Amino acid sequence: MKNITDEIIAKANEIILGKELQIKLALACLLAKGHLLIEDLPGMGKTTLAHTLAQVLGLQFQRVQFTSDLLPADVLGVSVYDRNTANFKFHPGPVFTNVLLADEINRATPKTQSALLEVMEEAQVTIDASTYALPQPFFVIATQNPSSQIGTFALPESQLDRFLMRITLNYPDTASERKLLQSNGGRDQLKKISAAIDHKQLQSLQTASQEIYVSDSLLDYLQGILQYSRQSSHFNAGLSPRAGLGLKQSAQAWAMLAGRDHVIPEDVQAILPSVAGHRLVSNSTFSSNSEHIAQLLKAVAV
Amino acid sequence: MTSQLKLQPNQFTIHWLLISLGITFTLFLFHLSNWVPASFAVFALWRYLIAKNNWPYPKLWLRLPLTFAGGITVLVTYGSLFGRDASVALLAVMIAMKLLETRTKRDFIVMVLLSYFFTVNILLFTQAIWVCLAILFALFGLTACLISASRQSASSKHPATWRVEAKLAGKLLMQATPIMLVLFVLFPRIPGPIWGIPQDAYRGMSGLSDSMEPGSINQLSLSSKVAFRAEFKSTIPANNQLYWRGPVLWHQEGRRWTMTSDKINLPTESLETFGETSNYIITLEPHNRNWLLMLDLQDTNPPDTLPEDATIKHDRQVVSKQPVRTRIRYEGRAYLQYKLASKLGDHERSLALQLIEDENPKTRQLANTWVNQQKSHVEIIQAALIMFRDQPFIYTLAPPLLGNQPVDDFLFNTKRGFCEHYASSFVYLMRAAGVPARIVTGYQGGELNPSGNYLIIRQSDAHAWAEVWLQDQGWVRVDPTSAVAPSRIESGISTALSDSDLLPLLSRQDYPMLKKLYLNWDAVNNGWNQWVLGYDQQKQLALLKSLLHRDIAWADIGLILMAVIIVLMLLISYILLRNTVVITDPVKKAYLKFLKKLSHVGVNKFQHEGVIDFGKRAAQQLPKHSSEIEVISALYSSIQYAKPTTTKTKENRIDNHAALQLLKQLIKKLTLT
Amino acid sequence: MANSLNLPSDFKLSSPKTWFRAATAVNSTVLLGRKHLYILPTRFGWLYSLLLVGLLVGSINYSLSLGFAMTFLLAGLGTISMLHTWRNLAYLKITFRRAKPVFAGEIAQFELVVANENNFARYNIFASFTGGESDVQDIAALGENSFKLSLISQKRGWLSAPRVRFSTEFPVSLFHVWAYAETKSQCLIYPNPGLPSQRLPSADADGASGQLSSSQGDEDFAGHRHYQFGDSPKRVDWKASSREQGLLVKQFQGEATSTLWLDFNATTGSNLEQRISQLTRWVLEADKQALKYGLRLPQQSIQPSTGRNHYHQCLTALAIM
Repeated sequence: MKNITDEIIAKANEIILGKELQIKLALACLLAKGHLLIEDLPGMGKTTLAHTLAQVLGLQFQRVQFTSDLLPADVLGVSVYDRNTANFKFHPGPVFTNVLLADEINRATPKTQSALLEVMEEAQVTIDASTYALPQPFFVIATQNPSSQIGTFALPESQLDRFLMRITLNYPDTASERKLLQSNGGRDQLKKISAAIDHKQLQSLQTASQEIYVSDSLLDYLQGILQYSRQSSHFNAGLSPRAGLGLKQSAQAWAMLAGRDHVIPEDVQAILPSVAGHRLVSNSTFSSNSEHIAQLLKAVAV
Repeated sequence: MTSQLKLQPNQFTIHWLLISLGITFTLFLFHLSNWVPASFAVFALWRYLIAKNNWPYPKLWLRLPLTFAGGITVLVTYGSLFGRDASVALLAVMIAMKLLETRTKRDFIVMVLLSYFFTVNILLFTQAIWVCLAILFALFGLTACLISASRQSASSKHPATWRVEAKLAGKLLMQATPIMLVLFVLFPRIPGPIWGIPQDAYRGMSGLSDSMEPGSINQLSLSSKVAFRAEFKSTIPANNQLYWRGPVLWHQEGRRWTMTSDKINLPTESLETFGETSNYIITLEPHNRNWLLMLDLQDTNPPDTLPEDATIKHDRQVVSKQPVRTRIRYEGRAYLQYKLASKLGDHERSLALQLIEDENPKTRQLANTWVNQQKSHVEIIQAALIMFRDQPFIYTLAPPLLGNQPVDDFLFNTKRGFCEHYASSFVYLMRAAGVPARIVTGYQGGELNPSGNYLIIRQSDAHAWAEVWLQDQGWVRVDPTSAVAPSRIESGISTALSDSDLLPLLSRQDYPMLKKLYLNWDAVNNGWNQWVLGYDQQKQLALLKSLLHRDIAWADIGLILMAVIIVLMLLISYILLRNTVVITDPVKKAYLKFLKKLSHVGVNKFQHEGVIDFGKRAAQQLPKHSSEIEVISALYSSIQYAKPTTTKTKENRIDNHAALQLLKQLIKKLTLT
Repeated sequence: MANSLNLPSDFKLSSPKTWFRAATAVNSTVLLGRKHLYILPTRFGWLYSLLLVGLLVGSINYSLSLGFAMTFLLAGLGTISMLHTWRNLAYLKITFRRAKPVFAGEIAQFELVVANENNFARYNIFASFTGGESDVQDIAALGENSFKLSLISQKRGWLSAPRVRFSTEFPVSLFHVWAYAETKSQCLIYPNPGLPSQRLPSADADGASGQLSSSQGDEDFAGHRHYQFGDSPKRVDWKASSREQGLLVKQFQGEATSTLWLDFNATTGSNLEQRISQLTRWVLEADKQALKYGLRLPQQSIQPSTGRNHYHQCLTALAIM
């Protein structure tokens, strides 16, 4: 199993240079059956990352550019009256895919945002009393420009909770950047890349991830973290039980990527900033959230 | 805080209180007027029903008259509100009544503290072993009650359970025991009393009195109470030598014999001694009189062989300055062969011949016939003894009443009597015949306790005999009882009496099992008396001397006490107060050892650091030991976080127990430089 | 809601007794250590010692050896109970939970989580702010429990929790052990909102507040919302309103919601506090009506938005202004 995941990561690494950590996090998120939010400035390779992942995993890929005039129907699909059959016919929207890249999700109106987020939660679309199941696996990668840009609708915290992880890509290091500049950019190579696994393998990977052993000692540690986040005066609100579950599942996936059959605290520490960062709302405006998360990690004994 | 004190306690609190007070009042049952424990029973039941059925508490208009009535009843019963019995009774009644207004936390605490005080008061009346045990139970219950009352609080979510309270009370008392022992042994004992003791304090102590009349000793003989115990350092003398000297009676007045007045100043009778001494130690039960019982005859050469604070009277009776009100221990040294008072002064002679005129004409006549027969003093004595032996005199505990001429009546009519009858009539006869004579009272014999190798002398061993003064021989002991019932003197009172006589059960010969049990119990009791109840300043000093091998000044005991208490308190405090964060997991314990080793060489783990991460960091810092450190870290991590192996996969993975052993070994072997 | 609580005007916290050393927070946890515990006998303790002296004197007077023994046993009990009382409070670990922000005049509730890391249970632990109401809890062995302490807030801004007094008299009420815990816990006190009658500035009006639309389109009908004072009559959907109860306003895509600017300069109060009070009321109202609103203060302005987070952000800005 380690071979498979290593291969996936290696392949993705060829396209997205110098971003192994982010690739692993994204993969872990997907293996834990969670949705991913990438937050960064434009041009950092968000779309490429999403596309690459889909390609490597052999998944169908759809991209929707969110704008302020995008309606829920544009994403979900619409029922149209068919004169020939005298019936309403459902035209599935782009959401009917394996990997949906919701680009710049914060540009869409809250209405459209919430429509998408409901689909993310339920993995099905309900229109006019009919329910349409989405293909499995279903994985949303949303990108978002950092807020405080005029004309955007930042996702409210209740919606943010639906994303298992939030990652940032940041600027590449000099070596990777040079390599990038020497090539024509990753997008060209995307077409060449072949799938490393098929659907079935992916699903078995997901199942295997859920079976990674979590000991009582580790649960103690996890609960320590949850407890602290709720007690600490640094945060406006502590981590929800859903966040706790997400932490566990992500740590399991991370342990699997490391080729271990059990979770250790280091796994939790590795994924915590990504899983908890967007759920914890810091109290003060003076220090950044990541500092508080570092503090949280320091305060809880292993 | 004050509002907390007004909280109503739970049901266990009142149960604890009622049970412990129940024990205490049961103990007092034998020592206070019956109505006192009875009133407690009534109020306790009332209070119990209040708690059980949620009855209203009695109002002030009911409580006030009740309290008043209680006080009055004590006053009427005891004739006063002061004095030992009356004040204890008053305290008892007040505590019983206070039950009816004990409802809040504060009430309970005050009640328990008063009850502690009250319970210990039983010791004024008795200090027996079983009483001590009962007191401990009562104190335990009271402590549990105190804990229960202290636990009450508005938001206590955990229901108070009696088990928690009982456990904690037991724990507190157990932990208090070492402190108690140290204080008991080392607290400087000041001989009391500090102030006067109420008159009624020693009621109920029995023993020989300063006078004798027919019936007074056989009254005493009905009691199996221990009078004193005697341990002999050498062999125990034969039973017929065991005459324990008490009051010597000189003065006859009707049927009553009394001691010489203290105002008469007579020289102490001279003493010549022969043969071996007999050394012994007596533990005398309190009898509220001055006499110290001594084996005939106590040596007084040099005079400091006498017990401390004791003097000797002219007739060689040993008395203490203070009445014996606590159990005391003293040594004696006796010569069984002696010659007492080789010369008899005129004054003594007149005292030894004193008789009230015109009484007992028949006896006087008998004496006169012996005098007229020109008999010597020795022959007169023999004639009297032969009379006792040959005529049908009977030794009995139940003699008939004597008439106006008691000696005549006894010698010529009833002929049934106890030792005092024989002794008094014999001395009367002697005096009437012109032989100087006197009565000696005391104890005769004693029962050997094989469990402790000492003699138990009971009140039933009380005896009276005669001494006559003979030229060249001085005062000679003559025991007329031995003429009537020789076995009384040879082997004890139980053989001398017929079974129909009502001797106390334990003085009788039958029931050997019971007797043996009793003797064992008495040995325990004797130890208790010697070492617990009899522990006084003298014993304290002796004990310290034997422990420290040097003389200890009384004032130094305080210093020793301070030192020992401080050490003890430090020890207890350390045990109780150290911050013990318990680690029961052996795996974690082993790993902590590993961390300790690393921290000795300056590599410390952050609390938040993962085990593997730390292992890597430590390996980097200590490249020499990197492999061991990494193996230990990986092993610990896998024990802690990996799935416990099932039996199926035993071959390819070590099970947890083996892993733990391996971890321990690796950590033990790890030596960092 | 804020004015429903009547405060005594002379309410003041008594100043903490500074001569007692208080335990301070390390890593946001306060440990009640050896140095922080103080102990004195209670009045029951004094009564108890008096009774012991009585028993001792009695034992000496009557030469009661067993009386000595029992007196000493009780003395030992008292001494041991002192240690147990001390132990009942020692080494507790206190963590402050974040206090939820309240409006000035309301009761700020601080929650303390007290953990017992030893394997014996603690009973009857009292916690209180100096002079305040106390909370009593038991703490199981190796367990934890939380205490809730209230403080009446007076003015906006950060309300620092005073030192907390922990005490206990368990197990036998003969000794009182106490300790102070100094914490850096704070509760944010939002300004007292003015009276509800102060109405919201109109979204359309000029000056006091302005409308900001991200895209000024009327093209795409999106739905209805309830009429708010100040809505343009043109937007009222009269047909729909006749069917429903109350007035309904048409909303169009691209407009989202009307955007309010709550401007400090538009307030009418005579002093700073009154103005802040009014702004607070406006934030409350705007949030209640789910409007999109922004806040413009002399040194700071908050971009228009909606949601709980934004609401708290605005109130925080007002509180610490």
